[in-house]
Amino acid sequence: MLYALMGIGLSIITGVLNIPNFAHGALFALGAYFLYTLIQLIGNFWLALLLAPLGVGLLGVLIEYGGIRPLYKAGHDYQLLLTFGLSLIVTESIIIVWSPVGMSQLPPPILRGGVDLGITFYPKYRLFVMVSAALLVLGAWLFVEKTRYGAIMRAGIEDKEMVALLGIDIHRLFTAAFALGCVLAGIAGALTAPIRGLNPWMGVDMLGIAFVVVALAGLGNLLGSIVAGLLVGLAQSLVALVWPEASVAVIFAVMAAVLLVRPQGLFGIR
Amino acid sequence: MQPKMSKAWLAIVAAVVLLPVFVRQAIATEIWIFAIFGLGLNLLMGYTGLLSFGQATFFGTGAYVAGYLLKYYGVNVFLALGVGIVVGAVSAAAVGYLCVQRSGLYFIMLTFALNQMFYFTAYQWTTVTGGEDGMPGIPRPSVLGFDIHRPLAYYSAVAVLFLVSLWVMKRIVESPLGKILQAVRENELRAEALGYNVPRMKLAAFVVGGAFSGLAGVLYAMLFGIVPLESIGFVFSGNVVFATLIGGSGSLYGPVIGSFVFIWLSESVSSMWARWPLLLGVAFVIVVLFFRGGVVEAWARFWAWRAARRAPDAVQADASR
Repeated sequence: MLYALMGIGLSIITGVLNIPNFAHGALFALGAYFLYTLIQLIGNFWLALLLAPLGVGLLGVLIEYGGIRPLYKAGHDYQLLLTFGLSLIVTESIIIVWSPVGMSQLPPPILRGGVDLGITFYPKYRLFVMVSAALLVLGAWLFVEKTRYGAIMRAGIEDKEMVALLGIDIHRLFTAAFALGCVLAGIAGALTAPIRGLNPWMGVDMLGIAFVVVALAGLGNLLGSIVAGLLVGLAQSLVALVWPEASVAVIFAVMAAVLLVRPQGLFGIR
Repeated sequence: MQPKMSKAWLAIVAAVVLLPVFVRQAIATEIWIFAIFGLGLNLLMGYTGLLSFGQATFFGTGAYVAGYLLKYYGVNVFLALGVGIVVGAVSAAAVGYLCVQRSGLYFIMLTFALNQMFYFTAYQWTTVTGGEDGMPGIPRPSVLGFDIHRPLAYYSAVAVLFLVSLWVMKRIVESPLGKILQAVRENELRAEALGYNVPRMKLAAFVVGGAFSGLAGVLYAMLFGIVPLESIGFVFSGNVVFATLIGGSGSLYGPVIGSFVFIWLSESVSSMWARWPLLLGVAFVIVVLFFRGGVVEAWARFWAWRAARRAPDAVQADASR
């Protein structure tokens, strides 16, 4: 489910803005670190969980405004370098501000321990993450499919010029889309922190996975991202049962296999 | 050969001779190795318009396989270099085959994701690759009786290989294949309409670029005596893209200049501050926002600017006379 969340965020960014966002993983990590610090500061997990992604989103607005906006016409190579440079900056800043050593974050007291599901014993916090990620994915999907803003965003994916001609401020749309993608990455990072702990490079793995999800789903295909995210997560956990060492590499193998059979991706149109 | 061409060659040969006098020999060697790596990428990125973000895949696989043979079987240098080139080319063929199915953003993401696949394979396959610790103990056997253990001797060997690579790349770029690749970059549909098999041409660019990367990988392994895990990581892919772009992609000498600037700067900064990637990131952003086009273009603009400044001066001088 977390993969789906990352995938949707990246899909919105790549789909609407048509840029390769290599900073997505670093923003994910930043979400986790914001959560950690906010808990230290205000001592409330729930408030921190709300504020951390918003902080990442705010940073996203700044990045889009200051860095990406001048580059829409510059070609993917420069956009890639910019986002890649940003991801280096964010990662190194995390190391400087926090520390290169991994840290752990406990889930809030209510969510510690496990629940007996009858067949198996399952940690409460993971259940919470699963449910809340599912709700968020559903929420994001409803937002994009059912609201006016979502419609504008989808129209932006289809045809930017047409949207601009209809009198919609395309730059505001881009900023909003980038910020939304960043918020989703931040939530995913914040939710992950109590499960996997924090380290400055935690975003790198996620970035690769998010790209796989998007490549499988097709750019801007949100429903596809959800399915592909679930698929990738499922494939990974199944392989982790039988051959734990290969569980990361297998994700990329799945992608390679799918692209061999269907070069346009699972749900891609183009 | 046109006189301008030979002038550039003269400059490069002079740089090859003079560099070890001014820069530490290991760094000087690394500069030319990185330049070979950049040449390979430039064929893809600069000439064919394929922004590959996974060049470290070919660099790393070449380095690992040849390094393994050198370490455990003590193969001779030429065989090791040959293996590196072939492995780089083969892995590039496999990766390229998948990637040329798509274009634009998908292409970039695919090269990156496949790079990650190789990275995690190397990371987990500790019995062979050493995982996070890298594969240490790569020997540097002698070439035709010449001992290349001394830094200067190894530098000379690498420099010769670099000049050969540059010459080969020049021939490729000026060959019909090179022209077709540029046609693909400029207008893919038209190239296809002219009857060229565009995916196959892209794949050819991949294979050649991979071969150069593999060669660079083996040389790198022998330089440091180790294949570090980072050599197959995506940051390495990003670095070579950056080096090529600051040099100026799409020009033969761009990656050469770029790798000089990049390696020299990063080596001098990294010895001062452990968090130097932060500065690297800042440099990326600054270059992208303010110096698009790289050194080669900035150089050209500088001359145009000087010429433009001179012209009115000349007019004034005429008027005052």
